[in-house]
This record gives sequence, structure tokens and C-alpha cells, in this order.
Amino acid sequence: MTALRFAPPIRLSPGARTALGTAVVVLTYASLIATRPTSPHGVGGSAALLALVGYLAGSLLIVSGAMARLSTSTVTLFPVAITLNIVIGQVVRISGLPVHLDSIGTVLVGALAGPAAGAACGALSSITVGMTINPGSLPYAVTAASVGALVGLFARFGLFRRAPAVVVAGALIGVVAGMVSAPTTAFVFGNASGQLGQSVVIGTLQAYGNSMLEAATINGLIADPLDKVVVCLLAYAVLSALPARLRQRFPFAREHGVFGRDRRAAAEVGA
Amino acid sequence: MSAVMFFQDGGSPVHRLNPVTKLALALAVTTTAFAIPVFWAPLLLVLLVLVPAVVVAGVGRTYARLLPLFAAPLVISVFLLQGLFFPEGTTVLAAWGPVAVTAEGLSFAALTSLRLVAMLGAFLFLLLTTHPGALMSAMVERGLSPKTSYVVSATLQIVPAFRARARNVLRAQQARGLDTTGLRRRVRTLLPLIGPLLLGSLADLEARAVAMEARAFGAPHRRTALLALADSPAQRVARLLMAAVAVAAVVANVVGVAR
Repeated sequence: MTALRFAPPIRLSPGARTALGTAVVVLTYASLIATRPTSPHGVGGSAALLALVGYLAGSLLIVSGAMARLSTSTVTLFPVAITLNIVIGQVVRISGLPVHLDSIGTVLVGALAGPAAGAACGALSSITVGMTINPGSLPYAVTAASVGALVGLFARFGLFRRAPAVVVAGALIGVVAGMVSAPTTAFVFGNASGQLGQSVVIGTLQAYGNSMLEAATINGLIADPLDKVVVCLLAYAVLSALPARLRQRFPFAREHGVFGRDRRAAAEVGA
Repeated sequence: MSAVMFFQDGGSPVHRLNPVTKLALALAVTTTAFAIPVFWAPLLLVLLVLVPAVVVAGVGRTYARLLPLFAAPLVISVFLLQGLFFPEGTTVLAAWGPVAVTAEGLSFAALTSLRLVAMLGAFLFLLLTTHPGALMSAMVERGLSPKTSYVVSATLQIVPAFRARARNVLRAQQARGLDTTGLRRRVRTLLPLIGPLLLGSLADLEARAVAMEARAFGAPHRRTALLALADSPAQRVARLLMAAVAVAAVVANVVGVAR
């Protein structure tokens, strides 16, 4: 027996793994919000360890559960989506815009193939970047996973049919992403980001008496919705430009009418 | 960063280790650094574990160049932020209006930045000495889903091709007279760039999915490996020991030793 196995010794069904991972993430967030650190080390107690280990373990469970149930044609979409995240993320970082835009691929997968695929694609995107380009993205895997999962949910309820609804979906996703990533920013990174604008905002908030977690949350609630609205709109524009034949290849998008009823597609299929 | 990955080939003993052993080291160092809430723990881990490992692997120079590149922005901003605006500081060393340098803030900044250096350093060591593809194969041998391994490995192969394609699309759009100077225009450039890129990439997905299905890609059974990666009893013991140290550190953290 080795000390490191990547298949759980107890065989859990994929659904159970996803549920357990989600529970771990929710519990981690809840206990991080509930603890009011008062030790002399302040926030240096267990919060950093919990934010790092709890979030990462949860995301890995979600990935392992989701991947087991996805079809091959969905999985082949992931590398393209992650590449899109990486390349556009780097282009945007060089151009110095105040947004990340490094989750367009994740949003595309979520809208085309559903919440499980979106969550797995988001987490794997962070893990791939963490293993190749920047180790600092590993702790944020859970944020990317929640973005992908939410896109899938909103797409299912028809928020990706028209641009105004897409803006609403993007804003809601941004709020959740900001809240979920706040404990990581505050406890793991000590609110450091290396970005000037974000550091100024957080410093100002802390100077006015907010705790580190409050400052990180408020900053996330400002920056993330902006980023995710732009990302969702870009993804929506790309999806609208896709030939209906391609869009209709995904069972999730077909069943739930993610893009409304594609009359063109019906005609193409019928022809 | 023009490179997709940092891997540097070499014949050192560290390179010859099983990738899983190096992953276990990276995970154990990170966990232990975050579990023991005193600043010398991550410091000792970096100096006594990571630095010797990197030197033996012969990637010391690259490591010394890359680690500050990742860590410096974080370390500088954590010291500026928490050194000046730490919310829970009581021992004030100096103050100008809302800005207060506190002993607690400085010690928190030191602990956090050393932890971050340990985390980034541990994974940078893994990246420099381990080919991501080899790491994935080793993990599949140990029960990771082949689908997950495919996603990571395929991404690493697609990124360079995708970049070249992006450059070509951009040049083609410029040849058509698309202006790519200025901020607003850059944003507008994104759309005519993403569209053709994505269509080109999606076009061959279906064929690939069929080809992979034909080779039993989606089959749920465990596969046997053609190339078995070297492993040894010593490495197994080492992995167990590293896991034990990490678990002990977490237990110590939960129980509240060294607070």
C-alpha cells in the first residue's frame, strides 16, 4: 500500500462524492465565517489551514464525482475551455485591464453541458494553471468550481437566452464568487494580491475598522461581479455566434433549451 | 510567461524519483507550513527541505529566479497591508492617523508571507523537477480517473498551438484593418479574436471524441500501464513518513499546541 492513493479506499458513488465535496466546501465556509479569531496570533490560528485544506479537499471530491459521470464528448471540450481560460487570462493580464476574464471557457462549458461539467471544468482549470503557470491559483479552485456550477444552474433556468438576463446571472455569480474566495484571500494570502488597485481598496477598508475577512468580502463583492458580468456577456456572445448544429450537440443545452428553441437547428436537423 | 510549463529535464536523483513522491513532498510541506502557527516552521521547511532538494536536482538557479517572481508581490503587499492596517493590532509601534504599525501586524505578515513562500516554493519544486504528463501517469496508476489525466495533459499540448492560432487570427484581423491600439479597442478586439479561435478548436472535437471512444477511453475499468514508473520501498516509506508528519501537524494545530 502506498501513502498516497487517488481513488478513495471506500468506494463512494460519484453522486455521493459530489455531495460530500459540496458539504465539505459549505462547512468550511460556514466555520470560517463563524470563527471570530481572538488568539494572540489573530487570524494565524487554524483559519488559514482550514481555508486551504477544506476548500481544496472539497473541490477535489467534486471533481472526482463529476468526472466519473461526464460523457467523453463533454470531457474533450474541457482542454479547449481551459486553454481559452489560460490564453485570454494572460492576454488580459498583459493589457492591464482591471478584470481577470480568466473564466470564459468555464462559463461556456457550464452553459453547454450543465452544472457538474462547469464545476469540474472550473476546478480543473485552476489546478492545471496551478501545476504549470502559477501555484497561487490552486487555493482558488473552489471559486472556479462554484462559478461553473452556478452558470450551469442559471443556464438550466433560461438565464442565458437574452443579454439582460445574462447580466443578472453574471452579477449573481460574481457575488457568490466574491463571498467564496474571501476566506482564501484573507486567511491564506493575508489579503495580499500583488495587484495595486485591490490592495488599496482592502487597505482602506481595514483602516476604517473592518476585519480582514470583511475587507476581503467587500472587495470581492466590488471586483468579482464586474468581472463575471463581462465574462458571461463575452461567453454569451460567443455562444450566440456558434452554429446551432454545434450548440445542439450537447444534450444538456438541448433538453433545457439553454438558448431558447433553436428553430434554425430544428430545420438543420430536419433537413 | 511565454512558457506553458517550467519543467527542466535533468538526470538528477530528484528527477528520477517517482512523481507521486515529489507531489507528496509538496503537499506535506504546504500542509505542515500552514498547520504550525509559528513563523520558524515554514522558514525551516524552506531552508532544510526545499532548498536542499532543489540544489540536488540542479535547478537551483532557475528556482532562485522564479520563486521571488511569484512570492515578491505577495510578500510586499502582505507587509504593507498588515504591517500598516492590521485590524487586530494592539501593540502600536508607530502611528500616523489611520495608519498604525503594530507588532501583531508585523508578526502576522511575517508568518503569512513565509507560509506563502513555503507553499509556492513546494509546488515550484514539483513543477521544475516533474513533467506534468509523468505526474498524471503516476496518478492514474494510483487510481486517478484517466479522464482527469487526459484533460490536464491535453491542455498542456493545446496551449502552444492555441497561442500560435491566436496570433494568426489577430494578424489576420489587423490585416483587415482592425485597430488594436487603445484600451476600448482592445476590449473590442477580444470578440473577433475569440470567435474564430473557438470555432477552429471546436471543429475537431467531435472527431477526437469518436477516436477516443473507439480506444475505450470512457471504459470504467482500471488500465495496466505500458511504461511502469520507477518506485521503490524506500520511497513508499518516505511517503508514509511525510503523510504522518503532515497529519501530526494538523492534529497539533487542531489541539492547539504552540499557540
